[in-house]
Amino acid sequence: MSVVDDMAFWIFALTAIVSGWRVFCTDSMVRASFLLLASFIAVGLIMLLLGAPYLGIATIFMMGVEMMVMALFMVMYMMNPAGLNPMVMVHQHRFSIGAGIAAFVGLAAVMLVTDFADNPVASDARVVTDLGKELLGDSMLIFETAGVTLLATMVASVILSSRSGRFGPADEGSVPPPLEPGGQPAGRLPEEGGGHGHHHH
Amino acid sequence: MTPIVLTMTWVAFLLGMAWYIAVLDGLWAAAREGRQPRAPLANPLYRCATILRQQSNLTEAPDLLNWRLAPALYAGLAGTGVALVPFSSASVLADLEVGIVWWGAVEALTVVVVFLHGWSANSQLGLIGAYRYVAIGLPVMLISMFVLIAAALPAESLAVPKIIESQHELWNVIRQPLGLPLFLLLGLSLSFRGPFNYADSADLADGTASEISGAARLVWEFARLAMLVATAAMAATVFLGGYLGPVLPGPLWLLLKTAVVLVLLVALSHLFARISPSRMLTLIWIVLMPLAFIDLVWAGLVAL
Repeated sequence: MSVVDDMAFWIFALTAIVSGWRVFCTDSMVRASFLLLASFIAVGLIMLLLGAPYLGIATIFMMGVEMMVMALFMVMYMMNPAGLNPMVMVHQHRFSIGAGIAAFVGLAAVMLVTDFADNPVASDARVVTDLGKELLGDSMLIFETAGVTLLATMVASVILSSRSGRFGPADEGSVPPPLEPGGQPAGRLPEEGGGHGHHHH
Repeated sequence: MTPIVLTMTWVAFLLGMAWYIAVLDGLWAAAREGRQPRAPLANPLYRCATILRQQSNLTEAPDLLNWRLAPALYAGLAGTGVALVPFSSASVLADLEVGIVWWGAVEALTVVVVFLHGWSANSQLGLIGAYRYVAIGLPVMLISMFVLIAAALPAESLAVPKIIESQHELWNVIRQPLGLPLFLLLGLSLSFRGPFNYADSADLADGTASEISGAARLVWEFARLAMLVATAAMAATVFLGGYLGPVLPGPLWLLLKTAVVLVLLVALSHLFARISPSRMLTLIWIVLMPLAFIDLVWAGLVAL
């Protein structure tokens, strides 16, 4: 590994960790999503350095789309217009601190205990071809099952969560909340009859 | 080509082609209004000078980091896209084994950058443009990925040079007739022009760009042109055989094909009207997406 590769690794590693940490310090859902994206892009670039071009670039590609969709859906389903209003990004403090420490210790233990393989792949190895053969050969059933399950989960969760809208159940006609407790719904009321031509008396 | 010559060719290609689109746009506008074009070749440069002389604008409480970075990132993404395009069999700036996936990442990150540009200005017209762009930009990106995968099938490789090699006998535009037209829509969408201008349209007073002026606007407008150059060069490479061609040298063929694709893209962006975002979404998901599937199935059957 050359000095340039080493420097690139440390820069990407630092970017991944710092932007990952900032996700929890920012006060906006949109910023949190894209800080996480920055972290994933840095990880994807490290995978490029490790000689896994398909996995590295696919990570960047998929995370770009995913974080974009995530930012949009979070803003859509939460009471924070446009994600620009300040908002605390962490909750369940005690539990999450405990979970964070447990995860860190667990992963660190795995890292220290595992005997990592130390046989560099030859530079002319056809890694992308091999990966394709693996994904669409022996591992196809696992790969496809996971893919279809994820898709079904996404569709189902959107259907389930979009019924209870911000202004009441979507299938009953949503009504904005009143400005004063027990008052009329805010905003313009729908007129009787609804059609055109009734406004000009 | 040596690396230095290659880099200079890349810069010249980006700048020259962006200028070429600006000239075409100017000529088209003059023809439509029935007037004689004034200094059509120098006009884009005058416009650059005019924008640069403007005072730069600042909104109330913007997300300054993202707002300032977005135009530069957008231009950078366009540049990375062009870097994938081989000028001849031995000269490509980014010779990646998975070039098509990298192009997919460029598309995905473009949607992110355009959204951030509109969002970070903290202005409502910009924000509407940003949301509309994501809704339209993501499915159009899916369509383009399907047609690109179809184009990679006969080459049995995700590398752009290999895809060109696979077109020695027959260009992909004939082998997969649906591919190029669907890919051209991506060009309009990535640089939000004409019927796909949902980000910076006139009904939003320039949308995501409604609050920028000065250097930031210059970079933003250049980046839009550069992104169109990148898509056109990619279309010429993946569907029209890239540098392949008789008599003339390879780079010249690429230049000619890109220039022709750009004429087509400029014509499309001026000839077609923009429909409302919801109707466009229906058109994309109900009509264009199945067409992309047909293209993919077609390519698969031919490859079998």
